[in-house]
Amino acid sequence: MKLIKFFILNLCLLAITQTQAIEVIDILGGKANELSVAVTPFVGDETNNIHNVIKSDLTRSGFFRAINIDAVKSFPKNIEDVDFTFWSALKTELLIIGKVEDNGDQIKVTYDLVDVFKEKLMTTLEFIGKKNQDRQIAHQISNLVYEKITGTPGVFHTKVAFVKKIDNKKFTLNVSDMDGYNSKAVVTSTQPIISTRWSPDGEKIAYVSFEKKKPVIFVQNLKTGERKLVANFKGNNSAPAWSPDSKKLAIVLTYNANSQIYLMDADGSNIKRLIRSRSIDTEPTWSPDGKSIFFVSDRGGGPQIYKMNLDDDEAKRVTFEGRYNVSPRLSPDGKLLTFITMEQGSFRVAVQNLISNQVMKLTVGRNDESPIFSPNGHMILYTKKLQGEKAEIATVSLNGLKSVKIDVGKELTQEPTWSPFDF
Amino acid sequence: MKKTLVYVSLLSALMAGCSSTPLNDAAEPGVAGSPNTLEESLGLDKLRSDSLLTQRSVYFDFDKYEVKPEYQDIVNAHAQYVADHPNAKVTLKGHADYRGAHEYNLALGQKRSVSVKGAMNVSGANDDQIETVSYGEEEANQNCQGNECSQDRRVDISYEVE
Repeated sequence: MKLIKFFILNLCLLAITQTQAIEVIDILGGKANELSVAVTPFVGDETNNIHNVIKSDLTRSGFFRAINIDAVKSFPKNIEDVDFTFWSALKTELLIIGKVEDNGDQIKVTYDLVDVFKEKLMTTLEFIGKKNQDRQIAHQISNLVYEKITGTPGVFHTKVAFVKKIDNKKFTLNVSDMDGYNSKAVVTSTQPIISTRWSPDGEKIAYVSFEKKKPVIFVQNLKTGERKLVANFKGNNSAPAWSPDSKKLAIVLTYNANSQIYLMDADGSNIKRLIRSRSIDTEPTWSPDGKSIFFVSDRGGGPQIYKMNLDDDEAKRVTFEGRYNVSPRLSPDGKLLTFITMEQGSFRVAVQNLISNQVMKLTVGRNDESPIFSPNGHMILYTKKLQGEKAEIATVSLNGLKSVKIDVGKELTQEPTWSPFDF
Repeated sequence: MKKTLVYVSLLSALMAGCSSTPLNDAAEPGVAGSPNTLEESLGLDKLRSDSLLTQRSVYFDFDKYEVKPEYQDIVNAHAQYVADHPNAKVTLKGHADYRGAHEYNLALGQKRSVSVKGAMNVSGANDDQIETVSYGEEEANQNCQGNECSQDRRVDISYEVE
């Protein structure tokens, strides 16, 4: 099933990559670049889940604008049915149509992606799955449409994890689909949980818990459910960061002094000091090639982001705009850095191009936190603190055009992390 | 925590024994210090009544960790107390307001507690008796406005036995 799917996809891609792939770096901070798309209800889809999921996936990405089709009464089942004059008049560039066949226990979903201007079928595919897998099938369709148009794989099948604070007395580490559905608690505690980090191999989540009356680091195995205390040294233990091969963790320890960065094996053994300073050094994060660590230090006065190559021990300052820059995370290709910057008392998600050093602020604030790139590098997941002891998690597209909440209920939700492509 | 407490109590019983006052001679072996002994050896009475020692919080400006001059007397008094009572153990717990990153706030709360420890060291308090820890913004008012937030930028001073 998977093999066939990818085979078809690759065939289509060969033909279109050259002309239609959109370079994300080029559109960073660019003006509206959204394609208009009409996602029609799938004929035979009783729950109406499929087209709604595809519509919200594509809209969230910031690359697509779903046109309003509320007034349209009947929808094509396949490309032969499409009235191109009608859809052109609605000013839609793309049309997604499909049908669902109910085969007892299973459903068969077929979809067509149609280029309205060229009056041409761009791709078509058939999925077979269980009835309750309709959302997953819809996410797969979104992925294929996304890859067809942008040249980059979609992330709509991936998962996110986050911390819920319930009535100020219960904290849970939850895992859900990236759109907030199927949320399940994997850890429950009466003490705060922060700094969640999904391992690059997809199997574990490292996090900081205050259950020992001070911060200590746990690793939760998502497959076995095993929970392991990996750092409980004197003082604070915090800010775990996985190496790209998931074998090591950079962590922050204090003993009886300021926060300093250490390196250890992921099981808690072989601890060694990584950076020595008299200042705060915290929030380490690895470059995707595993050769350097980005971190936050107040060695220059206020908190700024620095980079240190693991083979030369020399820290170089990376951020220069503003006097408060924290929470660095790199894009999967290592070319972009996202972080939180303070500007006139407002904390906003920023992205810096590490080649040109151009900085773009993607959100308006006022109290945004914990940005992290999606596995394909096209979106950023972050916490948005709101008035009145509230917080929610949201994604923002790299062009800053779309910030969309991930709806996981009304409780305070924060400290998100994103799964890799495969998990 | 419990283990340490017993240890301290035993230690104070032993030390009280060394001081050879009639009261302590009467103490039975193995008893973890009569309440009176503990009270006296730790000078708990003073800890509870002294106008400076009863003040247990030091406040800071936003993203700052220096002990401000108006808190120097409180810090000195605690340093003197710790120096005078070698079996006293003090915890300095740093805090930050809710704005900014959780992890940076954790580091900032720690730097504040280390800063208070440094000031206490200068005034004669021994490092071994002081433990620094941070809760960052985790116990902060997540909805504070303006000056209200200054309440969360602090270090709390607490003693293991009071």
